[in-house]
Order: sequence, then structure tokens, then C-alpha cells
Amino acid sequence: MPPAATPASPPSPRADQPVFCARGLTKTYGDGDAVVRALAGVDLDFYAGELIVLLGASGSGKSTLLNLLGGLDSPTAGTLRYRDHDLGTADEAGLTRFRRDAVGFVFQAYNLIPSLTARENVALIAEIARDPLAPEEALALVGLGARLDHFPAQLSGGEQQRVAIARAIAKRPEVLMCDEPTGALDVRTGVTVLEAVERINRELGTLTVIITHNAVIADMAGRVFTLSDGRIVGVRQNAHRAAVASLAW
Amino acid sequence: MSLLDHKLLRDLRALKSQALAVALVMACGLAMMITTRSLILSLTAAREGYYARNRFAQVFAQVKRAPNAVREQLTSLPGVTAVETGLALQVSLDVPGLAEPAVGLFNSLPERGAPVLNIPYLRAGRLPQSQGGGATSELAVGEAFANAHGLRPGDTVSAVLNGRKQTFLLTGIVLSPEFVFEAPPGAALPDNKTYGVFWAPYRELATVFQLYGAFNRVALTLAPDASEGAVLAAVDRLLAPYGGRGAFGRANHPSDRRLDDELRVLRALSFAFPLVFLSVAAFMVNSVMARQVALQREQIAMLKACGFGNAQVGAHYFKFSLVIVAGGVALGAAGGLFLGGKFVTLYHLFFRFPQLVFRPDVPAFGAAAAASALAAFAGVAGAVRRAVRLPPAEAMRPEAPASYRPAFFERFRAVGWLGPSFRMTVRNLRRRPVRAALTCLALALATGILILPNAMRDGIAQVLDFQWDVVQRQTVTVALAEPQAARTIADFRHLPGVVLAEPFRSVPVELRAGPQVRRLALQGLPAQGTLSRVLDAEPAQRTLPEHGVILSAKLAEVLSVRPGDTLTLRPLEGEAREIAVPLVGLADDFAGVAAYMEIGAVNRLMREGDRINGAFLTVSSGQWTAFLHALKETPQIAGCYVKNSLREGFRATTAESIGLLQKMYAAFAAIVAFGIIYNSARISLSERARELATLRVLGFTRGEVGAVLVGELVLLTLAALPLGLVGGSGLARAIVTTVSTETVRLPLVLTASNYAFAVGVVAAASALSALLAARKIAGLDLVSALKTLD
Repeated sequence: MPPAATPASPPSPRADQPVFCARGLTKTYGDGDAVVRALAGVDLDFYAGELIVLLGASGSGKSTLLNLLGGLDSPTAGTLRYRDHDLGTADEAGLTRFRRDAVGFVFQAYNLIPSLTARENVALIAEIARDPLAPEEALALVGLGARLDHFPAQLSGGEQQRVAIARAIAKRPEVLMCDEPTGALDVRTGVTVLEAVERINRELGTLTVIITHNAVIADMAGRVFTLSDGRIVGVRQNAHRAAVASLAW
Repeated sequence: MSLLDHKLLRDLRALKSQALAVALVMACGLAMMITTRSLILSLTAAREGYYARNRFAQVFAQVKRAPNAVREQLTSLPGVTAVETGLALQVSLDVPGLAEPAVGLFNSLPERGAPVLNIPYLRAGRLPQSQGGGATSELAVGEAFANAHGLRPGDTVSAVLNGRKQTFLLTGIVLSPEFVFEAPPGAALPDNKTYGVFWAPYRELATVFQLYGAFNRVALTLAPDASEGAVLAAVDRLLAPYGGRGAFGRANHPSDRRLDDELRVLRALSFAFPLVFLSVAAFMVNSVMARQVALQREQIAMLKACGFGNAQVGAHYFKFSLVIVAGGVALGAAGGLFLGGKFVTLYHLFFRFPQLVFRPDVPAFGAAAAASALAAFAGVAGAVRRAVRLPPAEAMRPEAPASYRPAFFERFRAVGWLGPSFRMTVRNLRRRPVRAALTCLALALATGILILPNAMRDGIAQVLDFQWDVVQRQTVTVALAEPQAARTIADFRHLPGVVLAEPFRSVPVELRAGPQVRRLALQGLPAQGTLSRVLDAEPAQRTLPEHGVILSAKLAEVLSVRPGDTLTLRPLEGEAREIAVPLVGLADDFAGVAAYMEIGAVNRLMREGDRINGAFLTVSSGQWTAFLHALKETPQIAGCYVKNSLREGFRATTAESIGLLQKMYAAFAAIVAFGIIYNSARISLSERARELATLRVLGFTRGEVGAVLVGELVLLTLAALPLGLVGGSGLARAIVTTVSTETVRLPLVLTASNYAFAVGVVAAASALSALLAARKIAGLDLVSALKTLD
């Protein structure tokens, strides 16, 4: 693969059928005078294999949107469909099943299990996934073939985040959700982590959603959704996805 | 109220279920302490008051027949302040509603004036008066027997006195400091259906038994500076010519000794058990507070940064535990008062006082509060010390992440198949080994304390079955009022329904081995009896040899003798002589201690010809009624012990007391197991909220995450159960050995059902509390748990 620019997301065979489809998606917290509108009527369609960046300042609603898309929360109003499933009305068990089968999460804070080694953190997924990748294979995909038997406390931040990515993709999810994956990392380490994310998207064709407040990162995406005050205020299609290695902030 | 106190109250509200769990465990210990201390106070106060008011004697003696003139000599003995002489005679009773004859101990009331010692306490009616022949003789009855048969003043009972059946009018219901524990001599438990104590005027009693002008029992009180030993020796010398059977002090008085035994057990329980429970509570306080301090690191830093001193911050967290202690003391006091009341009611089955009221031991409440405050402070001190030591700037920073290592056994290849979630569990335990060990110990304790009451129940059942079915195969034991010629056995054989009859000869003797002396009844039995048998530890039947004696194993232990050793044996009636007898074997028995000899050997020893004191009989059930009827008409009979009645009485009494103990121990065990598991699970949930939330996000279901949360506790419980069973068995063995006295012994019987019950209670309590704690997983805020950086 050429390290330079890659074309924008190729239209997949199922491009006409979105993976996620949201209409009037709304999320409010609290009630009465204290009501906070975190998401105020969002419409979107995400397609298979896309790499999407949700860009926005703190409080723009991007995390709320990711939580709804990832099945961590339910909307107050509007519809949200994942393929044939209605996530908006799914119950607890339904959302758990959705997360279990379809979603991989990567968080700013890594959230590895401190009592398990890198390999075991990934192997944990094998307990619940139907057809998981071998932990070694998943870790190799993120460039961590060597430090398999180290505990999180023995790994650097970038390494921990890459273990988290390996864990997220080990179940071969259809969607990878990354919430500020580089928020706690320096630029150089951040780039290695984003390279891992990009590689997953490219090689496995996983629909990848990255949320960030860092506009530079948006250049690696196929499409960029900008959020403000709980609304999508702009959608940009990148003609060319920037090579991750070229990003600097 | 300061703002810090407001914070305290709000924090407590958030921790209320954990605080309650700790307070409950604490309350178990305190309830035990308050119950036992209060029972000790109640019993000693009742005893002291009763003994003083009704002038309980200090020295007692029995004699075959001594003329009343000897009384003057007794009075003039140095150190003696008061003397009461009279008669005490065992008679056979015919009680309405009771098929078999009962045994009555008839005590005389002084011919002139009121008793000066062992003064009867009149519960109802009046004391009997001498009727001077003609009218129906009068009798007062002991309360226990009266209650067991629903007897009231005005009722009548028939008794066979010296071979003559007589009807008595009951005039009153009476208690006596001599019979607080109203049971046949040597019995461990009362049998109020078939044994009773009575009081009759001296003249009537003495006349019937041809003892007028004489006495057969003595009671004395001593001057404060008198030597009991010297008086005992002097009384023995004085009474020897009249068939004295040896004087003894209060320490050997059966009723007083039984009370002492009870107090001794209570004293032991009032210390050891509360200590254990309070230690567990201290551990729980420590873990709750350590977690609280860890969670509030930043708050502590903020408080210190604002200028709060170490003392103020420390006091804040101490107050935290003080509130828990206050709750524990309140619950413990309530529990102690409730249980104390229950036990006092139970004691009415065993001990007869004019008034036995539950007296809360108020200083014990203070001691309980102080002890638990101390335990809580000890528990919280470490956590608070860590909190105040932190420099504010450092406390503001998050704690360093936990580092883990593989557990030792993971080095083995065989554990390779264990999944990551199991490894999490094992490594978490390994990271806090002390906490894991203490949790395990507390759970083992909960398991262990359940073993004791059931082991006692099973031990008693074994005694009932062993003693009453294997050793004693007779249906009924019949005692003669006076020893009679051996041919009397033929008369027994002719009673309706009698299938087998075997004689026995019983003689009061003194056994001596070196400095050790015991007085007891020497049992003369047929060499190879089929009814009452002498069994060894095998158990195999021992043949009684022509020479030598077989002793209860416990008696041999008390006398420090082994088979092959020689004992000195002195009959306490008949002509004065001493013989040396070899100890030829040991008998394994569980009630009282006995010395067995071949019946012919006993008769040769006594030089009174071939005589018997009674017989063991088997009676065919079809003729039972006819047999009992005939027995009641047989004048020579002084007593009749129906095996099954004794057994049922014994069962009923023990069932009630063991039942209460069982419930109490089961409740305590459940509380400890529940409390410790709940507390551990909640702390684990708090410490690992982030980890568990991550699992939920990854797609683990609530149930799967719950399994990860309680996995540790399941492992600890699994480790604790066998530990608890072993420890509990050890505890049961220790207690059974401790309570093994010359009057009562229990075999250690540990059954599978006992173990299953203990495991069941602890497992159920653990499962329930783990379930409750795991329900909190539903409340995990997935999003915020993941967003915050540690």
C-alpha cells in the first residue's frame, strides 16, 4: 500500500444500505428547568468500510452521539437503526448483544484490565465473541507482536492504547468506535495509534468512527461531521484521505 | 453541626448497607456478650439472694441412722454455726396420669419449729402439718414435679412408704435452695416427670420408716473463719459409727455444682465468642474505611489544602466508625436483651428459683460499647493514618495504578486452559493476600460455629441411642427400698410380662488412688449380663471378673489410674473395712461415672450374704399396663426407671435448649457470612467499577460481569468451607472435651448432615448477599466510568 494519499472510501457493494441510519436523533438529560439538550435532532447515514471523524469542541454532543451509536445509551427521541435493528428502542439486553456482536470500543483512558496481560486482555474477548481473532494476530495488526505478556502497568500509554485497539477488533466488529483515542498521548505516540486504527479500517474494512476535538486528525477521514450545540453543523467529504504519518498537531 | 459532620452523614447514607452489614456482625458479638453477662448476673443474683434468704447450708452429710442426740455434738463442733438434721428418703409414687411409678425424695420438716437451714420457699398453699395419725397425711411438693404433672394444693398423691401404700394431701408447692436443680443424683438434666422432691412432717415420715428419734441427713453452716476441710473430717468422725456416708461441701453439692457448671460455661462464652465477632467486625470496618479513604483522597487533600489539620481529618473518619459502632451497640443491646430473655425462660426448665428474672448487666453494655469502639478504632486507624499522612499535593494526584503479577500456580502448564476472567479473579486475590486471608477466615468462622450445636445434638442422640439401646437393654430398672435376699429376683420374674430379669447390687463406696478420692455407687452386676452391660471403647462387652473392678474411663482419668493399677476401696455402709482391688478394665460410658464389679464379688466384700438392691427387667409390651399396675402394688419398690420415659424427657429438654442454640448460631453464622460477602462484594465493586464497566462496554452481560465480581468471593468461600469444617470440628472437639465432666460427657459425633447444614447456611447466605451486591452492577454508569481518567 502506498504510504501517501489513499482515495476516499470506495463505494462498498452495500453502500446504498447504511450501517447506521439516524433521523431526528435527540438526547436530553434531566427535566424541567434543568433539562440539558446534548443532542438536538441529528440525521446521518454511515456506510460500511467508511472512516468517519466526528469533530467538535467539548460539549458539542459528539460523545453523546458516539454513546448512542455504540449502544451505551438510548436516545430520548428520534430513530436510530443499525442495519435491521432498531437501537432506539432496544432494551438493556438488546444493547448488550449489539455491543457484544458488532461494536469495538477504544477510549481515551485505554480501560485495560490491570490484572490481565496484553495477550489476556485481548483473549478476554474470546470468552464472548463468536469468531474472534487470535490475540497474537490482533496484537500484530496494531504492531504489538513483542510485548504480549506484559501487564498494562508495564506498558507505555501508546502501547496500552494499541492493546485496547487490538482488544476492540479481536471480535471482528463491524464498527470500531474510538473516543479521543489520542487524547492522553503525545503526538508521536498518537500517530502510531492512529496508524493502527487506519490499518484496521483499511485491511478489515471496519466502519470506523473517531471522535476528536483535534481538527488535524479529521484529515485522515473519508467524511468529517462537525458538531456544535448538539447539531451537525457541517459534513465534509475529503477528496483524499491524508496519510496518518503526515499528521502533526 | 459542622459542615464536616454534614459530609459524614451524607457519606454514611451512601454507605448505609455496608455500614449496616458491619454493625450487624458487631451486634452478634455484642448480643452474645450482653446475653451471657446478663445471664451470669441474673443467675448469680438469684442464687445469692436465694441462698442468703433461705439459708442454704455449707456442709452436707448422709448417714444411715444417727440418734437425734448426735445433733448436739454436731452443733458443738468448732466452726459450726448452725445445724439442721432430718430425714431424706426415696419412695415410689403413684401419680395420677402417669403409667409408671415415679420416684420421690421425701424430706422431713422439723418436728418443732421452722427449719433453720435450707428453708423451703412456699410458692403456693402452706407447709404440711403433722396430723397425729388418723387424718390423711400432708405433703408439700417441689415446683418442678408439680408443674410437670399439673399438681395443685388440695390434690392427692399415693406413695409407697416402707412397703405401705399411703395417700397424701398436697398442701403446698415448695422450692428449696437445695434443689435449684431438681434432678436425681448424678443426672445431667432434670426429669421432672418421674423424679420429684417432697416435704413431709418429721413425725409421720420417721414413724413409717421406724426412724423416730433419729436422722439420716445433716446440713451445717460454718463460721466465716472456719476451715471446711476440718469440719468435714470432724463430721465424718462423728457420724462414722452411725453409718456416715461422707460429708461434702457446697462444691460437691449436686444442685450447686450444676449451677456452677452453667456459670463456668457462660463465663467462657462471654469472652471468647464476642472477641471473635468483634475481630471480624474490626476487619470489616477497616476494609470499608480503607476504601472510603481511597475514594476520598482528593477530598482529604482539599480539606488539608484549605487548612484542616490532621487531627480534624482523622477525627472525621474516626467519627465515621463511631456511628457504625453506635448502630452495632444498639442492635447488639436489643439482640442481647431478646436472647437473654429467651435463655432465662429456658433456664426455668433447669433451675428453680423463687424468682429468676432477667437482669440486664448494665456495665456490660458499657464494656460492649467500649470493646466495639476499640475494635472499630483499631480497624480504622490504619486507613486514617494513611489519609492524614498524605501531603495535599500528592493526594490531589490519582493513586498509582495497581501492578499485578501472575499467580504462583499459573506457572504450571495445566492451568493454561483457565480463561482470562478466572485469571483476573486469582490475580486480584493475590494482590491483596491479607484481605483475602481475613475474608476467608471470617467465612470459615461462620461455617465453623455452625458445627458445634449440631455436633452436640448428634452427640446427645448418640448417647441416647448408645446408652439406652446398646448398654442398657432393659425396659425398666426397679430399685428396692432396702437390699434384699438374692432370691427376691424370682419375685420380679413372676411380675406380669417380665421376660428377663437380672439383679444388681449397689453399694456406696469410696475409691482411692494415691491422693485422688471419689465417692460413688459401686455397681454389682452379673459377670456377663444381657441387660445392663459393661462395654469398652470398641464397643465390646466386658466380662466382669471375679476379682477386680472396671471403671468408667473418665473416672480412671480423674483418679489417674490405668488398667493393672490397684485401687483402695472402702464401703461407706456396713462394717468398716478397706480392700485393695485391681483395675481390670475401662468402660466407655457417657452419663455419670461408675465402678463395676461382679455381683458376687460385691456381696463377698459386704459380708452380708447374697443380696440385691434391685433388678433390670425386660417386659413384653402387651402386658405393660398389667406390669406397671402390679409394680405399683409391690411395696418393696423404692424406685422405677422406665427407659423410654427417661429418654423422652431427656430428648424434650435437650431438644429445646439445643434448638435455641442452633437457631442462635445459625443466625449469627448467616449474619457473618452475609455481612462479609456483601461488604467484600461492595468494596470490590467500588474498586473495580471501571474494570467492570469496561467489560460491560465490551459486551459482557450483567450476569457475566456479576460472575467476574463475585468470582473472587466464590473462590474464597470455597476455600473457607473446608477450612471452616475442619476448624469447626476442632472447636466442637475442644468444647466437648471442656464440658466433659464426671456428670456429663458427650461423644464427638460429626455427621455428613451436620457438615452439609453448615455448608448450606454459609453458601446460601453468601449467595444471597453476592446476588444483592451484584445487582448494583446494573447501576454502573458505563459512560462516566470510562470517561474519567484514574
